[in-house]
Amino acid sequence: MPRKVCIVGGATTPFDYGATGFESIEGGAAECIRETREDIPDFSLRDLDLMIYSHFSVHFGHQLCSEWVIHDHLGLAGLPHFRVENGGNTGGSALYAAALAVMSGHHDAIGIVGWETMDSVSQSQGSEFIALASDIRYELLVGGIYPIYYAAMANKWMKDNKVKEEDVASIGAKNRNNAMDNPKAQWYRNEHKYITVDDVMNSRLISYPIKKYDCCLMTRGVAFLLVCSEEYAKKVNPDNYVTIDGIGLSSCTIRAGDRLNYPRWTEQYGPNYPGMTEFGACRNSAEQAYKMAGIKNPKKEIDFGEIHDAFSTSEAQIYKALGLADENNIAQFLRDESTHMHGQIPMNPGGGLMGYGHPVGATGIMSTIEAYYQLADMIPKKHLSKKTEVPDAKCGIVNSHAGTGTSISNFILRRH
Amino acid sequence: MQKTIAKKRNKFAQEPNFTIKKSYRPDDVKETGLSFVGHEISDDGKVMNQFLHYDQLYTIRHGWNSPFFKGLLDGKIMGTRCPKCKDTWVPARTHCWRLDCNLQPTEWVEMPLTAKVHTWTVAGWSGRSSLKRLPIVLVYAIIGDSKVAIANELHKIKPWDVEFGMPLKIVFKPKDERIGAVTDFHFEPADNWKPSPTNKEKERIKKLVEPVYEWVKTMK
Repeated sequence: MPRKVCIVGGATTPFDYGATGFESIEGGAAECIRETREDIPDFSLRDLDLMIYSHFSVHFGHQLCSEWVIHDHLGLAGLPHFRVENGGNTGGSALYAAALAVMSGHHDAIGIVGWETMDSVSQSQGSEFIALASDIRYELLVGGIYPIYYAAMANKWMKDNKVKEEDVASIGAKNRNNAMDNPKAQWYRNEHKYITVDDVMNSRLISYPIKKYDCCLMTRGVAFLLVCSEEYAKKVNPDNYVTIDGIGLSSCTIRAGDRLNYPRWTEQYGPNYPGMTEFGACRNSAEQAYKMAGIKNPKKEIDFGEIHDAFSTSEAQIYKALGLADENNIAQFLRDESTHMHGQIPMNPGGGLMGYGHPVGATGIMSTIEAYYQLADMIPKKHLSKKTEVPDAKCGIVNSHAGTGTSISNFILRRH
Repeated sequence: MQKTIAKKRNKFAQEPNFTIKKSYRPDDVKETGLSFVGHEISDDGKVMNQFLHYDQLYTIRHGWNSPFFKGLLDGKIMGTRCPKCKDTWVPARTHCWRLDCNLQPTEWVEMPLTAKVHTWTVAGWSGRSSLKRLPIVLVYAIIGDSKVAIANELHKIKPWDVEFGMPLKIVFKPKDERIGAVTDFHFEPADNWKPSPTNKEKERIKKLVEPVYEWVKTMK
């Protein structure tokens, strides 16, 4: 048996866009670590034996190897460090790397710092930079922004699964409204209002069936997470540590149109899967994580999730890929509000990418931190109220997602 | 000795020679390097924003993939086919995707100029360069017997009339307007195709795109 992987703490800066006065990646990282030390005073920077940096794009960073700026600033010169980049799944991939490092027995206390500074260029330039992660030779000039690719996938998925625009719009409203209980969330800090399904339906067309309030936010933000061995967890946070019981990472094609008959998928799941509608890499990585964590019935055994809602449509597609519903009942699963706070399996109580924000390299780390807070009874301390606390949560899923579903990771976290 | 080196160098492909060098550098791409061009200070004098600027002209070396892009200039859609398993692709793959074919190099084939819609969307927002053309109908369509779908715009259709599975033809820009990029062609409905009668979804899309038409009119 490999060693257990634990999480003992973590924090983010407030997520925002534009001038706040605290824009500095190294300063942000330092403040995240200071907040973590307030939660677990026995943790010392001296304990760290590896730093993993989670950052998507130099285009936003205007600095090659900006992790070197942060690492040096934290006083950690001499300590091993490297950066992980994997599109929107950068955070999840950094967590995967940290988990492997602990499981191997080679490292005991690993800090992950994730960040993105998407407001260093204009919003429209930012969208084009993100689209450089599509195959630019074939897709950048036709469509040119990710919401269009996602809309084309979602349109067919919704038809195939009898899901209506209103059904997914409720996800857009849910995550923003959850964010209203989270003072670090970008939606709380900026737009700051509760919205309804009608508000989502009436928001401007981005690409049918996706409207503005079906889309995530562009964000500046930094996050820090402390991943460690159980031995170290027992030393610094014996009462409130969380274990990562399952990890999974999988991949899919860069161009969504190449998924119709992909031989390796056909070998694994039979013909016509994932097609242009399903997230095969999500299903595959979830199956890996479930198997490792001994989960047979995810809907019953998982209490909540922090998942990658780049679009409300993709959050719905993810539910299906996670095995929470199938083509016969996904529409009803959505209409039952199963993933709202009052539902069977709340998703994105922290606000998700649509509410908390999506500073790409920090996003998966943020999701993990929120899941950690839920399992460590820290929501009343970190959010404004208990409204977004999942009562008696014992098991959560963290999902991180890239490209058009091109790289996806899933993690099963359990309360110790 | 020289011959051996040349032989080794040509192991993967014949080295190309570009006798005629072309300069497409736009006048406003200065490539002056990185420059700090200015700054601004907040009213309370505490916070500074500084502006860094650089322009860069990239060379996309299409190399092995060139027949596809060169084909566009000639009004052709070039795909590839695996000589072993016969799978065919547009966008092209220079090596087969079947693990049992062990990265078999593929052969270039000219594809028919007909396609079928796999899925579609109507964009009401896009990158800066496309804003004036909104709303844009984008389809993923399967060309000929390709195993994969390719994305491109569908023209000569009301945005609300697109249908899954509808037959398409491929139409190229006039020869002198082509640049060797995927925008050299677009899809149009096949000649014999007629839209289905209006329905609830068509009305909904119409309602969503109306403000887009209005907004585009106001753009300079």
